[in-house]
Amino acid sequence: MTLTQPSTDAGPVLHELPTAPSAHRVVGRDGARADAPLKVTGKAVYTTDVVRPGMLHAKVLRSPHAHARIVSIDAARARTVPGVTAVLTQDDVRHLNPYGTFVKDQPVVAIDHVRYVGDVVAAVAAVDERTALAALDLIEVVYEVLPHVTELDEALDPAGVEIWPEAPVGMVPDYGQGASGELRTQHNVSYTFRYTTGSPDVWDQCDHIFEDTFTFSRMNHMHLEPFVAVAEATDDAIEIWSSTQSPFPLRKELAWTFGLPENRIRVQTMLLGGGFGAKNGLKADPVAVRLSQLSGGRPVRYAMTTEEVFLTVSQHAARLVYRTGVMADGTFVARRARVLLNGGAYTELSPLVCEKAGYRTPGAYRWQHIDSQASVVTTNTVPAGAFRGFGGTQATWASERQLDLIAERLGIDPFDLRMKNLKELGEEFVPGEAPIDSDLREGLRLVADEIGYPDRVQVPGRGMGVCIGIKDGGGVNKPAQARVKVSTKGDVFLSSGLTEMGQGSQSALCQIVAEVLGCAPGRVAFARIDTDNTPFDQGTNASSGIAVMGQAVQQAAEKVRREVLSWAGGQLDLDPGSLALRDWVVVGPDGAEHPLAPLVMGTFGGTGFEFTADGFFKSGNSHLAPLEAPCVFWEIGWAAAEVEVDPETGKVTVLQLVVSGDAGKVINKLGCRGQDEGAAVFGLGQSLFEELRYDGDRPVNAEALDYRVPLAEDLPERFWSLTQEQGHGAGPFGAKGMGEGTMLPVAPVIAQAIADAVGAQLTDLPMSPERVFRALHPRIESS
Amino acid sequence: MNETTIDFRLNGTPTEVTVPTNRLLADLLREDLRCHGVRSSCERGVCGACTVLVDDLPVASCSTFAFDVDGASVETVEGLAAADGSLSPQQQAFAECGGFQCGFCTSGMLMLTTGLLRQNPCPKRADIRSWISSNTCRCTGYEMILESVERAAELGDGGAR
Repeated sequence: MTLTQPSTDAGPVLHELPTAPSAHRVVGRDGARADAPLKVTGKAVYTTDVVRPGMLHAKVLRSPHAHARIVSIDAARARTVPGVTAVLTQDDVRHLNPYGTFVKDQPVVAIDHVRYVGDVVAAVAAVDERTALAALDLIEVVYEVLPHVTELDEALDPAGVEIWPEAPVGMVPDYGQGASGELRTQHNVSYTFRYTTGSPDVWDQCDHIFEDTFTFSRMNHMHLEPFVAVAEATDDAIEIWSSTQSPFPLRKELAWTFGLPENRIRVQTMLLGGGFGAKNGLKADPVAVRLSQLSGGRPVRYAMTTEEVFLTVSQHAARLVYRTGVMADGTFVARRARVLLNGGAYTELSPLVCEKAGYRTPGAYRWQHIDSQASVVTTNTVPAGAFRGFGGTQATWASERQLDLIAERLGIDPFDLRMKNLKELGEEFVPGEAPIDSDLREGLRLVADEIGYPDRVQVPGRGMGVCIGIKDGGGVNKPAQARVKVSTKGDVFLSSGLTEMGQGSQSALCQIVAEVLGCAPGRVAFARIDTDNTPFDQGTNASSGIAVMGQAVQQAAEKVRREVLSWAGGQLDLDPGSLALRDWVVVGPDGAEHPLAPLVMGTFGGTGFEFTADGFFKSGNSHLAPLEAPCVFWEIGWAAAEVEVDPETGKVTVLQLVVSGDAGKVINKLGCRGQDEGAAVFGLGQSLFEELRYDGDRPVNAEALDYRVPLAEDLPERFWSLTQEQGHGAGPFGAKGMGEGTMLPVAPVIAQAIADAVGAQLTDLPMSPERVFRALHPRIESS
Repeated sequence: MNETTIDFRLNGTPTEVTVPTNRLLADLLREDLRCHGVRSSCERGVCGACTVLVDDLPVASCSTFAFDVDGASVETVEGLAAADGSLSPQQQAFAECGGFQCGFCTSGMLMLTTGLLRQNPCPKRADIRSWISSNTCRCTGYEMILESVERAAELGDGGAR
């Protein structure tokens, strides 16, 4: 190892970023959300409330085995139960295509094999759930139990069981500079993502190279509204009401699975009772559709119980091995990451989560060389899919944790080590990628100051930490389309595929329209989502609502505004460029007001007219960008915490926790704050206790009573958030996306505070009293 | 199937229904009496989304038999707003302070708040925290709900009937 300083000849690539004027306040910024009246009166309608005439109810039979061959299914007795209209087993789905976003491997119900405890084996439609359940009891399934694998190492053992001997049917997304992906790279590995940049020669220049291993636990989304769908389907057409974050991808998947053109499938989406990533892809849908087909097209409702939700999708547990090379002064040089994600039995959204878990290896810091590889391991456990943070939570846990370990080894304060290595505002994340659009140091100082980190006095058993997490936001290659219509009297419709699952984006998008059209936000209504009429959208995910969809919405509103003013200019014989639009009144250059309603009716008659325009946005494609398009914005989460650790029990009490996100520009204050605090509490649960646990081949706490989520009593004594408005976002008026960022730094910041308090460096989640105790008393464990 | 006839007050209105003896209160309210604001989630009496007031006390309607409310006064979120549609102080406070996101826990949180304010019109933060810890909200991180309850107390009529 040489002592030469790393070359800084090239220096970081910096971009100038626009800054939105801080004085500008978007209309409705400080007001309540538009959905408040419906939600506080109980009038909000969710998919669980959908009732159709003659509606039947579905229930399913699930596998008791982690891995087995289905020898036979005898459903004859179930079919004779009065009130049962259809029984669905493997023989009713063999002609259908298996589904999955990248790899098509999940059948509507299990065919020949079951692959995890909870896999769907059969389903019944009946006049009510009770009858359906009674019929399920009469289905006899004979299994030949097969060996199973639930842990990463046993799954990777080439001598062990292979869950999918068949070649995968699937695709790999296009990648640009430095990135690649591959299906089925080895035994029980469904996908591997690789990314490299910079020369590996710099390893030789490092003064120190450290390698550490981190493990990440698996949580359930625990959205309060379960997976639910109501389907009316024949062999020719499907109409479905689904609690989905992504109505158009759902339509596409149903078209694939059931072999129908997309124009014979209509998806309608109501308000969602939470999603957090879980409600992407098919969930309750295919069973409801197939049972409806088998019941003569009668509507079938399949609402899962919470127990079933646990058996449907989860977060990815992970093991991350990070090797990091640094100079003696703490300057970061090179990082190599090897990441294994537990993907469960079906591929689900794992390839994309895997891509992000690998791609986000650099964290918020500057490197000369990155070598990252992430793989999804197939196991006989519940399939893992999209989950708030989406690979970024896993990457941040390892990245921030290892930084603290290195700080300790080098004798540098972790805060100083971060400040030294953070990227600049405007610096490329990696070559060809979008520049960082927040001042990272400013945010770190902000949260550090909030809890009093700079002036902290060491108190025995107490410690503090300050961390940062970063993820590319807005989705990869994601187009957005929206339509704005204004009727005769100035009633505005906004039509977009963005689903409302609690984040408040529908309300915020209405504000954006109101801002452009110069009207009160209350004049703008968000049209109901129906894939037959709503403009196409790839789904509500990746914190894309404001920064991506918002741009299409803003453009549509601007086009309508221009259309209206141009038309009014013609009517009034005035230059449209000299006109302003306010409260559906055209204001002339002399200040004269021309109400639009009479003007419209004067031309189009009393039945009136509707001005309409569409907006479109997509980040430009580029092979220089590793993921084929630079991301639209960077979602940053800063956090600072103070904890107290009881060395006798290992119990950690969080005394204060502050989180901060950068909204770029606040569209709605309550909305931004709610997203930051909600995401932080997801992180808090994961830090301290929340985990879907397996004992051998089966989950042991997959139901509401045993699965502990954070409650109000679990909040730190002091818990607050600060929404920054740094103004550099690419979205409307300088806005960025929100909703995931502040989840990222919470587990690492609590870990750092624990280390600061008692010297125990934890590398596994959750940081239960038992783990903390063992870290404090290693000899007790070994004795 | 055994059935029984029960008399109770639903949001102040005398109500008589004949129900199977194993009918759950949540199902009676949602399916037979059109109180869709009562949300069903865990169905194990854990999450509290289905919380209603029975004689002023919050109960999980998913874990209460319908026959159990015979003679009682049952209140749901549908009964909070005034007849002219104006919001109660609790509802106003949750709207104003952003004490909801997806809204699925909101009906339950509002009934919990109503029950609390009837017992204790000026609760301290610790009381609120402990009281609402019976219910799960997966979206907000609770702080904005705590503030909503404080604000409701401030606007308050003590959760008046």
